[in-house]
Amino acid sequence: MWTRKAAFTFTGGIALILIGMMISNNQMMILGLALIAFIVVNSWISGHGDVEVQRTLSADNLYKGDDLYVELLITNRSNRKTQLLEVYDNIPHEMKLRSGLNQMRLNLSPGESARIRYVLRCPLRGHYSIGPVSLRSRNTFNLGVEEMFVDHHSDIVIFPQIKEVEEAFLRSRTPKMYTGATTLRTPGQGSEFYSLREYVPGDPFKNINWKAYARTGELMVNEKCRDAVTDLYLLIDSRDIARIGTVLKNPLEMSTVSAASLAAFFLKRRDSVALGIYGEKLSYLPPDTGDKQYFKILSALAGVSAKGEMPLQAVTNSLSGRFSRGSPVFVISSCEGDGTVPAAVRDLVGRGHEVTVLSPSSIDFERLVSRIPRMSYEVLKLERQNRLTTLAGSGAQVIDWMPDMDLSQALMQVRGY
Amino acid sequence: MVEWRDINYRRFGLQAAFWSVMLVLLLMILSNFVNLSNTNQLSAYDDDWNDMSAFRQDIKDMGVETRSLVSSPLLLADIEDPRNTTYVVAGVERDTLSLPQFDDDGFITIASDDGYSPSEIEAIVTFVENGGTAIILEDYGFAGTIAEAFGVRYNGYQLFDTTYVPELNFNYVWMCVQTTPCSMNGSQIDTDSLSTHERWADTSSALSAHPCAIADGQVVSLEDSGVCSHHWADGEIAYNGTYRVLLNNITALELIPNSDNPLPELAIRAVTSNEASIDVNGDGKLVVSAVQSEETPDLYGRFNLTVEACAKSTCNPDDGGRVFFVADGSPLINAIYDYSGFAEGEYGPTDTEIPANDNRKWALDIIAEAMMTSIQEDGLEPSENAMVIFDESRHPQNAVLADSYNTIYFLLVYFTGEGLAMLVLFLILFISFEAVLIRKKDPDNWRHVFSIIYYGFGDANRYPYYSKVEKIRQVFLSKVRNQNGLTREEFHAMSARELVALINDPTLAKFAIEPSKYSLEQTVSIVKRVKAWGRR
Repeated sequence: MWTRKAAFTFTGGIALILIGMMISNNQMMILGLALIAFIVVNSWISGHGDVEVQRTLSADNLYKGDDLYVELLITNRSNRKTQLLEVYDNIPHEMKLRSGLNQMRLNLSPGESARIRYVLRCPLRGHYSIGPVSLRSRNTFNLGVEEMFVDHHSDIVIFPQIKEVEEAFLRSRTPKMYTGATTLRTPGQGSEFYSLREYVPGDPFKNINWKAYARTGELMVNEKCRDAVTDLYLLIDSRDIARIGTVLKNPLEMSTVSAASLAAFFLKRRDSVALGIYGEKLSYLPPDTGDKQYFKILSALAGVSAKGEMPLQAVTNSLSGRFSRGSPVFVISSCEGDGTVPAAVRDLVGRGHEVTVLSPSSIDFERLVSRIPRMSYEVLKLERQNRLTTLAGSGAQVIDWMPDMDLSQALMQVRGY
Repeated sequence: MVEWRDINYRRFGLQAAFWSVMLVLLLMILSNFVNLSNTNQLSAYDDDWNDMSAFRQDIKDMGVETRSLVSSPLLLADIEDPRNTTYVVAGVERDTLSLPQFDDDGFITIASDDGYSPSEIEAIVTFVENGGTAIILEDYGFAGTIAEAFGVRYNGYQLFDTTYVPELNFNYVWMCVQTTPCSMNGSQIDTDSLSTHERWADTSSALSAHPCAIADGQVVSLEDSGVCSHHWADGEIAYNGTYRVLLNNITALELIPNSDNPLPELAIRAVTSNEASIDVNGDGKLVVSAVQSEETPDLYGRFNLTVEACAKSTCNPDDGGRVFFVADGSPLINAIYDYSGFAEGEYGPTDTEIPANDNRKWALDIIAEAMMTSIQEDGLEPSENAMVIFDESRHPQNAVLADSYNTIYFLLVYFTGEGLAMLVLFLILFISFEAVLIRKKDPDNWRHVFSIIYYGFGDANRYPYYSKVEKIRQVFLSKVRNQNGLTREEFHAMSARELVALINDPTLAKFAIEPSKYSLEQTVSIVKRVKAWGRR
């Protein structure tokens, strides 16, 4: 593609030739021809973008707000110089360039390499892709520009932030939260002895009970009791209405942060955590423990977006049969625009679950972006208060979570209802 | 995969229609300019019997450079040495492209049916005024405007004369280049009626006589005979001032009285016999009388066949430009000009026998006079810059796309030679520069833009609804019900008295039970009370 300079030179050349013809001025015509010849000759000595690009990231997964270190290695694999080559690494606009630059102008000799280093801050959770690498080569006098790209992508997942949840805040009505539930007497990963069984290939040697082997002459292994205290169910509301507020402060963001924090807290205690996300459709992660489950939960929460209008009642109808009896259920929802919440909560309570409704105050999030008339705001708040009171009356523990309130602080309200 | 319903038929149809129209237009234009048929004639660059290659070859053999002009006579303005240049127009076969231009009065006009545009005529006149020589060989074609610029008019009707060649047909007419008419003696020209060229053969006037006539009798070798080589015989220049020129399908020339002629000296060099007639109505019959009338529309008498327009009476090329007008376009075609070669089949097999004629001598004498050097030491050699230009711009070309090329070349010359076109071209150039300045953008510099501030989401439409009294009442009653742990059924079953007692606030009780109008201040006050209610 010609640059503006080239277009001017060409138009000027043509004009000089024509005017030269008009006034029979050979010098002018020769000057015009020279300008056009200059463009033609210049187009022969263009650069190229035949380079190899390799990107290295400091991590594949990060938590929201963390820094990502990126290094781009560009190598000229061809046998001629690149001339003036602009390299630009396309990064998602949701990421902030903290230091360094994601672009560079190079002139690489054959086989020569150059590195671009920069640091990104990732203020939003989600699944992102860095790349492709755009290249722009210019010829010597900047008369022609050619753009191309190297289709090299690096995927990265930004998890929701994990807030510290103090155990004290979760001790509400019982000395230790949910200790009322019995230890799960099922075999699995844990520390407590469950039973002795015959060795099967694949069992780790460290589990072999040598005393039993000496006694019976057959290889026996110790089976451990599953170390979970209880199964915890987290239900996240990701309906369209959950995006009320700003991109950084809205009920859905609060919900993902709280769900990730609660999951981290309970998984650390070797509890099993299940996750249900409902909005456009219901996605469900069955209860499990360990780092793998933690990673699954964080990945699922990273990709949540506000869509759809699925009611909570539909979720509980679908899932309540799969919930372990008596296990606690956390419903994280603003409860806005869903008339089925009281019935669903009542149903869960009726099934013996200890239900906690963590409700980000959508009215107050809306107030961040919209000027709500004072009287309307008060009435909306009253209505919300009524809704939460109804839920509390249904037997759930209800937490009214204001936008400027920490999760730990919000959890303290459990006692208030 | 693209679904059929996703295809925008309307857009597709519009696109198809647009490109169809464009294709039809293109084909129409091409059909006008692409000429694959071999219908061209009178071209100095083709060697058919009706072309003029023999004449061009003779000129080249003289040592004179020949050129073709395929675009427009506007280029004659760029000739550096018009004195030594001869411009030959032979049988104009087509009209010029009718493009807008300024006329003599400065108004914009569109030239049409004139063969040559006013600018081209002006270029030819300027060329001649600057000392150039022009030979206009034309009959019924488009070169009339050139003649009119010099006070001569082509009659445009076919002329019949008694001096025709009976072995061929009445279209072949003899033209004797002399002041008096010649006549026939049987099938031959009566030699007694022949005389010599009035100017060329009159050696008493050295300025007006033909240089070969002056050199008559001069002993020279053939190599040194230069432009008079066609008069060379037996080791000397043997000039003969008698010219029997054979014409084909001729018309007549008229002098326009009181015309504003750039070359004031007009001389009639050849005439028909006194028994010539012109078929004015073109019906093929000659009905003539002394006076032209409806019954006798055709003309009878003596007509002009050749007119010479010169700047001075001497008609010397050193004294100014000259134009030769001949009332026929074909005296120089190979069949007549090189009759012996034609008879030998050099231009294709033929049964026609063209009689011997002086066409070659006459044509080369015009060239010799125009091209001969004025430097005494150079003898009979042509001048250093001698050049003959054949106007091929009005002959269709039989090479593929040659006409298109000529047209483009013509447009180029037109836009750089014609005043109005130059003005338009200046405007186009100016607009082009502006367009480049405005439209042509360099690619944007790459820059990372961190952008997560997106529009907040909220439903402002519901705010007025939440300030309505009915909604406030509904919210308040829900609060009363919730606060007292009542089901909907229990609450609806309550009497008004019980509800008033439950509310225990006369203002709110009245608000809950008696629907009435409330001012804004009252509503605000009610909301405050509702908010405070239950905290007690």
